[in-house]
Amino acid sequence: MPDGSFAHPQQRQFNPYTDNGGTILAIAGADFTVIAGDTRQSEGYSIQTRYAPKVFRLTDRAVLAVNGFAADGNMFVKKVKQRLEWYRHAHAKDMPLHAIARLIQTMLYAQRFFPYYVYNILGGIEEDGSGAVYSFDPVGSYEREACRAAGAAQSLVQPFLDNQIYFKNQKAAAGQSHPAHLPLSDVLAIVIDSFTSATERHIEVGDGLEIYVVVAKGRSPQGLETMRNVQELSTRPDGDRMFILRRELKKD
Amino acid sequence: MNSFLTRYSSTSPEADIRKAKELFDEDGDVSDVMWGSASGFGNLASGVPMFKLPSVPDPTSFLRMHTDDHADPSCRIKIKHGTTTLAFRFQGGVIVAVDSRATAGSYVASGTVKKVIEINPYLLGTMAGGAADCQYWETYLGIQCRLHELRNRERISVAAASKYLSNLVYSYKGMGLSMGTMICGWDKTVRIPEMNRDCTEAIRANCRLQGPAIFYVDSDGSRLKGDLFSVGSGSTFAYGVLDQGYRWDLTDAEAQELGRRSIYAAGHRDAFSGNTVNLYHVKQDGWQFIGNYDVSKLHYEGPGDVPGAPGTGYGYDLRVAGRTSSDAPQSEGQA
Amino acid sequence: MDISFALTGKGYVIVAADTVAARSIVKMKVDEDKIKVLSPHLLMAYSGEPGDTVQFAEYVERNIRLYQIRNTHALRPPSAASWIRRTLADSLRSRKPYAVNLLVGGYDTSTHNPHLYWIDYLGTMSEVPFAAHGYGAYFALSLLDRYHDPEASVEEGLATLKRCIDEVAKRLVVNPEKYKVKIVDKDGVREVEI
Repeated sequence: MPDGSFAHPQQRQFNPYTDNGGTILAIAGADFTVIAGDTRQSEGYSIQTRYAPKVFRLTDRAVLAVNGFAADGNMFVKKVKQRLEWYRHAHAKDMPLHAIARLIQTMLYAQRFFPYYVYNILGGIEEDGSGAVYSFDPVGSYEREACRAAGAAQSLVQPFLDNQIYFKNQKAAAGQSHPAHLPLSDVLAIVIDSFTSATERHIEVGDGLEIYVVVAKGRSPQGLETMRNVQELSTRPDGDRMFILRRELKKD
Repeated sequence: MNSFLTRYSSTSPEADIRKAKELFDEDGDVSDVMWGSASGFGNLASGVPMFKLPSVPDPTSFLRMHTDDHADPSCRIKIKHGTTTLAFRFQGGVIVAVDSRATAGSYVASGTVKKVIEINPYLLGTMAGGAADCQYWETYLGIQCRLHELRNRERISVAAASKYLSNLVYSYKGMGLSMGTMICGWDKTVRIPEMNRDCTEAIRANCRLQGPAIFYVDSDGSRLKGDLFSVGSGSTFAYGVLDQGYRWDLTDAEAQELGRRSIYAAGHRDAFSGNTVNLYHVKQDGWQFIGNYDVSKLHYEGPGDVPGAPGTGYGYDLRVAGRTSSDAPQSEGQA
Repeated sequence: MDISFALTGKGYVIVAADTVAARSIVKMKVDEDKIKVLSPHLLMAYSGEPGDTVQFAEYVERNIRLYQIRNTHALRPPSAASWIRRTLADSLRSRKPYAVNLLVGGYDTSTHNPHLYWIDYLGTMSEVPFAAHGYGAYFALSLLDRYHDPEASVEEGLATLKRCIDEVAKRLVVNPEKYKVKIVDKDGVREVEI
């Protein structure tokens, strides 16, 4: 019995992990990428805060969404940003997206025997101007995809994305084919619907929604600037453009 | 050239200083290379990377507690499992075929995983077990293979590359790495005139090591040379089709069809395998990607217009459509 | 470690089972017949918990026989399989359930159809063109998906069975040396050497 004496050996479990809920998602278009996440942070049935961002701007053309254990996530983003800053000082340019993806792999794998409990989705514009999404597991295996959902409601959102983005289990009308890439307005509608639906059916999703949109250099933001609650984050008018779009989600 | 060699050699004085630096570096996180273009995998050229360990008496059981989803399905960090991969040697080279499903518990985490890792134009590695372990260490192997080329002015043999990987993962034995991989390639062929000039025993031994080669390497430290392997949860199902259809003198088309059909069989019978088949063919001039085939499509329609295809779907019901085991006499059937 | 296979063909069912009776790490017997002939046109291969297997098989054998004596006709394969399944399912809810897996193969002399049923110890049953129990299933099912032919002659059927047995011999760590093979068709039951 644990009576405070040392007569019996005592064992204490070291558990440095928890799950802070929430969901993130990213979709790549032909010349843009949308990266989104809700802002609720919870532990068990308690909501810790209604505004804890999970999506972060890394460079002018790269955005990282981090889900899982919030403390690990924030630490990880901080370290990635530091490494990108060092790269900027050494090379006087931003690290390209595919290189950031590989950097994240090595940083995650360095923690192979004490993993960061985080699921990362990296989105942005590749050097050839195409939209790209990279998804990672906690120890660094990664893959380039067109869309990916992760976190608490991934099993609700991903099948919806498979159907709406990849047109899985859909048959094109006679003589027609499914588009390879959707326009920005369609993608934004799908993202917002994904989160409102996930909020309805998952207790760990809700409160607020932050959607980052990166548009390739010289391409039209397709009317995004005029939307409600949009803020432009671009540093240069002639480069890739980045926007953040905020929406409210249900708070119960 | 010389300074380049010393930079990457493992026996020079510079290397010793480098190792000492590593040992006394207080924060293993920060090294000089991180400032430059060598950030990322670049820092691996200076030796095996260091890993952060939890400050607990037994780091291995700590890791197992939080990641092993066989022991505890509710554990937090789900490492992706479940796979079927195969490779076989035949008269026309090596066929490598894999599925593309990654599962976390019963959730299909991805249906588009690349389980063939293209180490270099002559070497392929397959992925079974931990996705990150395979991806990371086989990429790392690719770096070491390139360094071998720079140091020795010739391509690394499949045997040497696989031994490098085997020794590497063996050094982590018991730490929780999980990989079952096949290193496949084509060892360079010695030209006949060169052989005739001075046919020493060493050259003759080298001749035996030419042509297609497959080595199975796993995280237990096993390393097996062989003609035919299948790895993963669906491997038994793949073996069932593969063994029965395998011959050394298969044509290229027959061999590709056998690889495709075997992964389909595993995708059909093993719930942890499926989605799509990726098919590669390794020949003398390096590997070639043959194609990506949807397992459901293979079931209903077959692989389409490709060499060796049966022209119909692979599905049992399609194959035996219209056939019956009834032996009722014809007259009775009509009456 | 028991292995059993069965497959249908043109007007017949082949049932095969290994002949090892093992206890712990010891082979107690190497010529055990684990296929019961339940009626003139009905076969049952059984495997599972030692003790339960033979007890259950004999119980089934006697009840099927009793039915035949009382009614002068044997149960047809679908009815026999249903009764066996139900017996197993009832046993599952008893104080001490039988842990027995079965392959029931028969030939229906009235419809001229061969029937094969895969039944496990939980009372799960399905009618199938081919079946396997034990570790053999992991190797044979994909093979049979590829090579099974519902219209195969007995010779072709036995050749396909041989493929299954050879595959298990090639890949399974512990190989049962011998199999007992029985065929049921319109002429009744017979045993063949393989």
